[in-house]
Amino acid sequence: MRQERWRNFDFWLFGVVIILCFFGIVMIQSALAGNLEVSINSQILYVSIGLVFILACAFFDYHYLDSLANIMYVGIILLLIALRLFGTAAFGSARWFRIGPISLQPSEFAKLILIVRLAKYFADHDNDKHDLMWIIKSFALDFGIVVFILLQPNMSTSIVMVVLWFSMIWASGIPIKSLVLLGIVGIFVVIGLLVWIFVSPETVPFVQEYQLNRVRTFIAPDPDARYGDSYNIDQAVISLGSGKLFGQGYGNGTQVQLRFLKVRHTDFIFSALGQEFGFIGAMLVIIVLSFMVLRIIHIARNAPDFFGALICYGIATLFFFQMVVNMGVNLQVLPVTGLTLPFISYGGSSTMALAMGIGLVECVAVSSEKKNEIT
Amino acid sequence: MNSGQNENKLAGRSPRLIGFLIVFFSVMLFYVYRLFTIQIIDGDYYLDLADENRISIVQEQTKRGIIYDRNGIVLARNTATYDITITPADLPEDDGDTQEVYRKLSELIDIPVNNGEINDETVRMYSECNTDFGISQVVYIASSLSPYNATGIRCDVSKELAMIVQEKAAEMPGVGVRMNSIREYPTGYSTAEIIGFLGPIPEMMQDEMREKGFLLESDQYGYAGVESSLQDILSGKNSRRVVEVDVGGLQTRDLEPPREAVPGYNIMLTIDVRLQNVMRAAMIDTMDFYNRVSVTGIITEDAAGIAMNPKTGEVLAMVSEPSYENNRMTRYIPAYYYQQLSVDQSRPLMNHATQVAQPPGSVFKIVTGIGAMNERVVAPDQYVFDPGSIYMEQRYSPNDPGSVQEYVCHLRTGHGNVDYQHALAWSCNIYFNKVGGGYGTEVPEGLGIDRLGQYARALGYDQYSGIELDGEEDGLIPTTTWKRVNQGEAWATGDTYLASMGQGYVTATPIQVLGSFATVAAGGVHVKPTLIREILDERGNTILPFTPQMHWDITKDPKIMIYDENGRETDEYKTVEPWVIEETRKGLRRVPQPGGTAEEAFAGDTHESSAKTGTAEYCDDIANAKGLCQFGSWPAHAWTAGYAPYNDPEIVVVVFVYNGKEGAYLAAYPVRRVIDNYFLLKEYDAERAGTD
Repeated sequence: MRQERWRNFDFWLFGVVIILCFFGIVMIQSALAGNLEVSINSQILYVSIGLVFILACAFFDYHYLDSLANIMYVGIILLLIALRLFGTAAFGSARWFRIGPISLQPSEFAKLILIVRLAKYFADHDNDKHDLMWIIKSFALDFGIVVFILLQPNMSTSIVMVVLWFSMIWASGIPIKSLVLLGIVGIFVVIGLLVWIFVSPETVPFVQEYQLNRVRTFIAPDPDARYGDSYNIDQAVISLGSGKLFGQGYGNGTQVQLRFLKVRHTDFIFSALGQEFGFIGAMLVIIVLSFMVLRIIHIARNAPDFFGALICYGIATLFFFQMVVNMGVNLQVLPVTGLTLPFISYGGSSTMALAMGIGLVECVAVSSEKKNEIT
Repeated sequence: MNSGQNENKLAGRSPRLIGFLIVFFSVMLFYVYRLFTIQIIDGDYYLDLADENRISIVQEQTKRGIIYDRNGIVLARNTATYDITITPADLPEDDGDTQEVYRKLSELIDIPVNNGEINDETVRMYSECNTDFGISQVVYIASSLSPYNATGIRCDVSKELAMIVQEKAAEMPGVGVRMNSIREYPTGYSTAEIIGFLGPIPEMMQDEMREKGFLLESDQYGYAGVESSLQDILSGKNSRRVVEVDVGGLQTRDLEPPREAVPGYNIMLTIDVRLQNVMRAAMIDTMDFYNRVSVTGIITEDAAGIAMNPKTGEVLAMVSEPSYENNRMTRYIPAYYYQQLSVDQSRPLMNHATQVAQPPGSVFKIVTGIGAMNERVVAPDQYVFDPGSIYMEQRYSPNDPGSVQEYVCHLRTGHGNVDYQHALAWSCNIYFNKVGGGYGTEVPEGLGIDRLGQYARALGYDQYSGIELDGEEDGLIPTTTWKRVNQGEAWATGDTYLASMGQGYVTATPIQVLGSFATVAAGGVHVKPTLIREILDERGNTILPFTPQMHWDITKDPKIMIYDENGRETDEYKTVEPWVIEETRKGLRRVPQPGGTAEEAFAGDTHESSAKTGTAEYCDDIANAKGLCQFGSWPAHAWTAGYAPYNDPEIVVVVFVYNGKEGAYLAAYPVRRVIDNYFLLKEYDAERAGTD
């Protein structure tokens, strides 16, 4: 049994994750450039924990999740409430949960729990009529977590969660008619929000001024800004562009090493690697990340049941969305958000949570033995 | 667990999954396109921006050279102004400590710790040293701009305050004193026409100066005097380093080999500031005297004078009155003062000794005299009769019926029979009219305007003297062609009559007149007048010792073109015979002596002075506007040139007084005083050298 499980363990996916994590550590080492607040050793620790977790998942049947989903769902909501009441306020938002020396962001793990819970919902109600109630109930499930994330406030994670819901309801076969309706409602909500932000920003709930500024800076940049978001994204695109085809070399990126590029170990690590490794390096990173997403989709296809497939699909969506948003900020096609580039950006909670996600995918992968034998 | 057995709807070619993949690949393709655009197509553009971020050119101002007079008296030097600064990066890490530094500094320099509100508008309006912000606000702005650079908190403070802050800087980390260099002119007004002043680098010169490494914001540029003409020698070179800086402005390394600052050369001028003061005082005193006794109001306040060593060309004094106070221009050029100087009718910003040409009048007679002698128009001892006035028929064209003009001598009764030496001594107009233009059978063939021009140019007229001052005027010695082209008339004998006594179309600057007398004084050697005695490096070593420069020697170098009997140029040249110079010198020696025109001014002269006075009638815009230009009684400028001693002249002086009427008085008295004081100073210096 154990040997069979290993046979179905997806080494391609695991290998790609190891490559990304290793490259991430190497890149963070260069991107630190004298930043003493961040230690490369902690990233090595997070990566190690994450990799061990992925391996551990090989011995775990993901069907247990089906029964655990509700407990985890309620548990994370209670944790978020506790955080709201007693949490440490860091970086202007109560996002951190401290266990000993490690600070964790429950919101990172909440994304996974949400994926599992939604997968359970859609799998359970797969045979029901996909009517409006089916949509509203699923959204209520989603919003149960999102509301506490919004209160933190954490806009980007909230958006990730809505996107996850949308992606999963799409995969669960939402009728096209409902989809059009949903699209119209969505467009009105977005336009309404934008108008609200520009007309009367101080009355918008759940969001901080800096977040509004990010949106405003993106849509109508201030050409004279010498600091702040618009400076940061300008420096990011300068870093990326100056890398040209071959890059300036590892540890030699002027924007990175002389610290013109800000938050270069997290939000703008793509620009940092773009400057040091050039178009070729950036393309390789895109290809490897894409391969990872496609590999997860591949596992979803081969999942033994819809529940497992939806978990994989949800996690693929999570990776896809995070990499798209992170790179989009660096490529100046999206406003600044705090989303990390999977496994490359520095960050304990993010790395560990994403590794857990891979772990869940591996869980599904090892359970798909039967199918593999047949094909 | 039943739900776990659901059919996998996402297996195989699920259309929903294909929808996901379409979105996925579309987004990725778009990103690759963006990445390609940014890194490959626009890569060079962004590389330039990245280099702009990191490459910084650091230039430090060098020291401009000091200007001394011939005895080492400082005429221009650099002095310091002090700014109290804070370097944000050097402030204490702890906020409380930083506040403590602000409080201490605030007490010392009287700038509040907090004042003003930081917002987009006020930050945009902020400029260093010129703000109402408190210390914290200035530091807040500075630390976001360039935390490693010192920012002025209070500028241009007294030296005492700067010293106090400097002393206490040890207990106020981040606080410092910055020294700026500005120009100071200890002799100010007395030497302004020679030294000039500095100003911002003019727009026209900016590209060139930037290329030479000058700082457009802080470096200054000579606007007048030797500050302008010797700009390149005085300015030196700024240091230049191309460095890589990080985001905080911290320099990490040199990208190019650094270039050290090269201080400007110090310059010792030939000026003797004591004689300069004497000359100005003599001119002002004389003008004041005549202005006070005048019944028609102020006669004149404008004058120019130069004293020079005729053998070496060293200019000992050069006065252009009125001048200006160049110390008022050191920090910046005050608009109202500059405006006032610009509209002043006396044109104080012009150096009247070199930049303004006027009719020279009778001082020009030495040119006519030397020409007439050398061309043997008359023999030196030959008498020419001066009846007091002569009549001459003027024809400006062959068909001109002609009109009769009267030419008068300043002595209406006439000087009677006059030889060359006495013609000079008495400044006899009729003599020079006749030898210059010819007169019937008495002087069958005069010198003529073309040959007169040859001698004028040999003596330095109609060309730049070569003195190290910008904007020199070259005056005019007319020719027949010149008149045809510019006046549309043929040259008439009457024109030659006027030119022979330095009137009519002839104009000259004081330095040209000085040059001609220096040539006579030195027996024919025409030196180049100079203001530079020595060029010294910053340690006082002589780099260029003084070497007199001779333009030519008219008794040795053939400078005079020979005309054939028809008055055509032959392209052959000859020299002036030494006896001609000697005769002229003898004549000039008679001028200050009893009977000569400068008799009164030089009464009791003990230095064997020679001189020549001049009264040049003129009619310019100013006189015309006052209605002074009435035929027969035009206003006149006063001129006197003189040198001493007779045997071996060591000083030659010229004084020009605008609208000074009689040259023998308004100009001759100052010349006398300068010559006397020159010898007094010489005696005094010799005594001092003896006792030391």
